[in-house]
Amino acid sequence: MPTPRRALAAAVVALVLPLSACGSGGDDAGTTDASGKVEGDITFQTWNLRANFKSYFDGLIADFEKKYPGTHVKWVDQPAEGYPDKLSADAGGGTLPDVVNVSPDLVAPLAKAGLAMDLDKAAGKYKSEYLDGAWASHQVPGMSGTYAFPWYLNTGPLFYNKALFTQAGLNPDQPPKTYGELFADALRMAQKSGGKVATLANVPTVEDFGRYGVTLMNKQGTAFAFNDAKGVELLSKYKELYDAKALDPQALTATPESSGKKFLTGAVAMNPGSALDLDNFKKNAPSLYRNIGITDQITSTGHVNMYVMGVMVNSHTRHTPAAVAFAHFVTDARNQMSFAKKVAIFPSTAGSLNDPYFTKEDGTDETRVRIAAAKSLKSAVNYTPVLFSDQMKTALRNEVAKALQGKESPKQALDNAVNAANRLLQQG
Amino acid sequence: MAASVRIRRQLPLSPWLFAAPGLLVTGVFVLYPFVSTLVNSFTDRRTLLPGHFVGLANFRELLHDDMFWTGLRNSTLYVVGVVPALVVLPLLLALLVQKNIPGITFFRSAFYTPVVASIVVVGLIWVWLLDERGLVDSLLETAGIGRVGFLSDQWLLLLSAMAVTVWKGLGYYMIIYLAALANVPRELHEAAAVDGAGPVRRFLSVTVPAVRSTMVLVAALSSVAAFKVFSEVYLMAGPSGGPAGEDTTLVMLVQRTGTGLTGRVGYASALSVVVFVVTVALMLLVLRADRRDES
Repeated sequence: MPTPRRALAAAVVALVLPLSACGSGGDDAGTTDASGKVEGDITFQTWNLRANFKSYFDGLIADFEKKYPGTHVKWVDQPAEGYPDKLSADAGGGTLPDVVNVSPDLVAPLAKAGLAMDLDKAAGKYKSEYLDGAWASHQVPGMSGTYAFPWYLNTGPLFYNKALFTQAGLNPDQPPKTYGELFADALRMAQKSGGKVATLANVPTVEDFGRYGVTLMNKQGTAFAFNDAKGVELLSKYKELYDAKALDPQALTATPESSGKKFLTGAVAMNPGSALDLDNFKKNAPSLYRNIGITDQITSTGHVNMYVMGVMVNSHTRHTPAAVAFAHFVTDARNQMSFAKKVAIFPSTAGSLNDPYFTKEDGTDETRVRIAAAKSLKSAVNYTPVLFSDQMKTALRNEVAKALQGKESPKQALDNAVNAANRLLQQG
Repeated sequence: MAASVRIRRQLPLSPWLFAAPGLLVTGVFVLYPFVSTLVNSFTDRRTLLPGHFVGLANFRELLHDDMFWTGLRNSTLYVVGVVPALVVLPLLLALLVQKNIPGITFFRSAFYTPVVASIVVVGLIWVWLLDERGLVDSLLETAGIGRVGFLSDQWLLLLSAMAVTVWKGLGYYMIIYLAALANVPRELHEAAAVDGAGPVRRFLSVTVPAVRSTMVLVAALSSVAAFKVFSEVYLMAGPSGGPAGEDTTLVMLVQRTGTGLTGRVGYASALSVVVFVVTVALMLLVLRADRRDES
């Protein structure tokens, strides 16, 4: 009876095949030697940039191909939604592009899996071209090396609705500058509006804890520590705001998009943003734009928060010299400056922020925001730890929500969040 | 003679050749992922990192995972809340639109429209309606009841998601019932009417027994779908699964745990195995109850 035997064999193969996926993942790693001839076909993946910047990237690629005859760059762009899932599918399936647009928290798992090239080895000669902090932003605690070229930086002010401030009897020309003032103004706003106007629409995230002066991780970078007294203090303040409706009731389930929408419709009085948002206000909420107030990010540390983008080279690329050369080309001072002039972002290359574009006022709000942001970037910090994964963010968010609802004390909630994050950290 | 021998030899192979494309597709896209999930559930595999055999560790861990119990509770409540409504309401709707009267096609189409609408669009529309500043809350405030906050309360949010599932599923099951009602012999209704049975009596004594097997089918289909609910709750509660994740369902937990660059594929697979076992158990329970009723 050969059929049952064959069926058995097929079943065994089906059972064993998935285990074959449990390989090391880094066995066929490419070389980090980028000194050869720059040639070959490479793929470059960006993160939701085609819609607005197609001509910029077409020109960039054309310039690179002209500079290095024998190269061909295929550009692919992925939507913003689900980008980490797309990366993980590509990485798992062995189809990760040669050059990839990443953020530091996306680089960390890719580097751990041996998929991100160590640029200290492959492109260390370019290090001095970038701001020190920006170059270090793609380093992973527990690993030596740097795993992406720094690309553009972003930061932004705090926007506020002057009309709502006036209605609450607050001086619209004196927005809060400290956390103390922020909490006091928020409570007053809620009281004056009978709980109808909240000042903030989001629960505190890990970067908020960082900006408040909470120690996020231990010195070795091996465990999270944001359950200290300062962390408990911040969460207790937010609980006061939540109880007084100074924090929007839907903040517990809000996303940055939904809280931005609340600000647009006048349901909340303050919202963090970037220079990009001004254009959005002008187009979609002209009445808000007429009343828009712009103030600095509130921080207890003296350092504002910044977001960093990077360009990673796939360690399995078959064309290391071309991939490294292209990643450097995209992020070099000239091309970053050119990109910054098309969109409200900031270059991470040394000296670029001293360009008159980032220092000279011309009387417009856009320029004022840009100059203020560029100035603050020189000492800005990326507060989100690179090892803080999506699962950890969810754990923190859920525990914060429990504290705000009064189901747990702020201390208990932060202890739980830290324990959950540390457990996930240890699991790799 | 030689030709007939060749034909006889080829005969056993030909059915397999016809079935091969289907078998291949089933093997690659159904059996392989299923077996793969089963195997992964016994490993500590991550999205990008190799896994090792860990025995029953994932299953032991989920017994101590509060979020697992929250997910199990919500998925079970979903079945309890949604299935009775989806068994009864579409039947009543089918009875209403069964009659051939002028303009009835419009109502049949209208009731079926939510079925063909994209769940994302449906979810967004209901979020707008039920938002703190949405139409429903504004109307309630105008009526002097005040804003309810359907999307900021754990239980109201779950109930709202259930209402959307029922609203979207009504038309689908209505069509199934319409097919079943068309097969109910008219003579039975006429005989019952002659015996003096009113509309309610005829419904309970003639219609319900006649469509009983369809009701079981609807119960089985809707209970499996309800236990595996994802989209409605995800769209209304957000990726965090409602306030403090209290509205997370099991499938949402699988998605949250197992995806992304740091996804715990092994643990998510163990959760998937639990979902599979419970849905099979649900099916068996419904079918067994049906058999007992028949006997």
